[in-house]
Amino acid sequence: MKRPLPVLVEETVGAPVAPFLRFTALWIQITGTWCNLECTHCLNASGPKEPWLPVMEAAAVRRAIGEADALGVKEVYFTGGEPFLHREILPLLSESLRVAPTTVLTNGTVMTPAIADDLARLAAAARYSLEIRVSLDDVDPALNDRVRGPGAWARAVHAIRLLHDRGLLPIVTATELLSGEHPSAPGTYDRFRDFLRSLGITKPRVKVMPVFALGRLEAGATAKLDEAALAGFDRGLLQCADSRIVADGGVYACPILAGLPAARLSDGGLAQAFRPAALYHPTCVTCHQTGMSCRNA
Amino acid sequence: MPQRLTTGAMGARTRNGATPEYRRIAVFGGVYNNAPALAATLDDVRGRDVDAVFCLGDLGGFGPHPDRVFPLLREQGVLVLQGNYDEALASGRTDCGCGYTDPRDNYFARVSYAYTFSRTSAANRAWLATLPGHRRAQLGAHRVLMCHGSPRVINEFLWESATPDGLLRTFLRERHADVMLCTHTGIKWDRSLDGAGRVVNVGVIGRPENDGTPAVWYTLLTATPDVEVQFVPVRYDHEALAREMEREGLPVEFAETIRTGWWTTCLENLPAKERARGRF
Repeated sequence: MKRPLPVLVEETVGAPVAPFLRFTALWIQITGTWCNLECTHCLNASGPKEPWLPVMEAAAVRRAIGEADALGVKEVYFTGGEPFLHREILPLLSESLRVAPTTVLTNGTVMTPAIADDLARLAAAARYSLEIRVSLDDVDPALNDRVRGPGAWARAVHAIRLLHDRGLLPIVTATELLSGEHPSAPGTYDRFRDFLRSLGITKPRVKVMPVFALGRLEAGATAKLDEAALAGFDRGLLQCADSRIVADGGVYACPILAGLPAARLSDGGLAQAFRPAALYHPTCVTCHQTGMSCRNA
Repeated sequence: MPQRLTTGAMGARTRNGATPEYRRIAVFGGVYNNAPALAATLDDVRGRDVDAVFCLGDLGGFGPHPDRVFPLLREQGVLVLQGNYDEALASGRTDCGCGYTDPRDNYFARVSYAYTFSRTSAANRAWLATLPGHRRAQLGAHRVLMCHGSPRVINEFLWESATPDGLLRTFLRERHADVMLCTHTGIKWDRSLDGAGRVVNVGVIGRPENDGTPAVWYTLLTATPDVEVQFVPVRYDHEALAREMEREGLPVEFAETIRTGWWTTCLENLPAKERARGRF
């Protein structure tokens, strides 16, 4: 169902804005917030129950990819929820790879040898790179599963092996959520690299993300950006200055705010969403402070 | 005084009094303090009957003795534009602006930049500040736009497997060019856009391109009815350079790359296809 674009969202009134400088990344919230896991720190509170942000129709995904191609997009990301729950994920990845390098963010727990084979075939046939990002919160199974649910560690590590064995060089995405559990050990980045090497992975690729006060961790976060906090800061460095996110019902400014009315910039047209984005949410503080990007590099 | 390679822009014909026009040019990027490779490249170019030689920036980083590359470029009339390293050195920034996001990549970038910054003379830094960010030329009938990373961002990585045709068409259309030349990634490639233009990443001469050989590469472009692109390998005394890097206390990983041709650092922003081709 198409939801009308709000004329004024109270949360954004008086908020500073980030300019839109260029179109670098298209994010596709393909499964909305539908996921087989229910992680304690999930940015958009995804889970197996009725998703609050619906799964996208394949036709809408195709329209977005076509429009992004015409607008000169540089890279495409599929996220959710869990993208591999979408019944058309493989053909859609194939179509995206015809247009641009494509990344899919997965929890790895529904990966099978057959899917990994299909991904390897897609990657080999494409002129552009296919990147698979597998989320893992700790190298320790018990700690990881405390966050991501029973059995999640074993299935994600199995997925990493399946992908590695097919030459797909997965990027393991970790958060700093559990870094306090390892006070005397190397930092998260080195801990994960060492762990991947211990699995026999010779080209370990690790991306570490900060923890955001968002989704299931949102309660209590109130600090917001204002003009004074941004004085002297180059807002063009923020992800919302060069990325747009397509989800059911509209185009949004930020991958982790997709679905929130105040972050919605258009009803569906990408080009109409190429306008400044309000830095209204407490999570904008984290981007400003850490300089993080959800992109691969 | 060394013989100049070409007559450069001064000897080029001009069209409408503005854009210099050439028949054949040599173009390279990423000198990375590698004076021996630069000298070997310029020696090789001397026999190629070119009208001009261009360098697309990043004179510093990685190798030893940054001040040694400047006289070679200036005395031999190379037309240089500014890369992110040059911009950083010229403006006194505390980091190279290479555009890395990975901690390991950034560690080695900091080591390299600190070495280069402390050994680049004030006069050479001032010269870097005078360099243009882009250059335009006419190659036969073709309008050529030269940049370091991309026309829009000085440190944008345009990898072969991560740069869509649609983006390249947009660059050419918006910048009114038929041919675009860039560098920054360290690995060369060439793409024809089905009648919509041509884009060439000209590669770098400062370090090998992660292919297991110590050779470095530059590019020759010749005006024909189309544009002929030829990638030229250059061999030089890489072992002597590696020993010099070790004497200077640069990371052993850097010298290993010079010797083996395999990248050991700054690997983490490689897209999957490029990463898969390397050893590490």
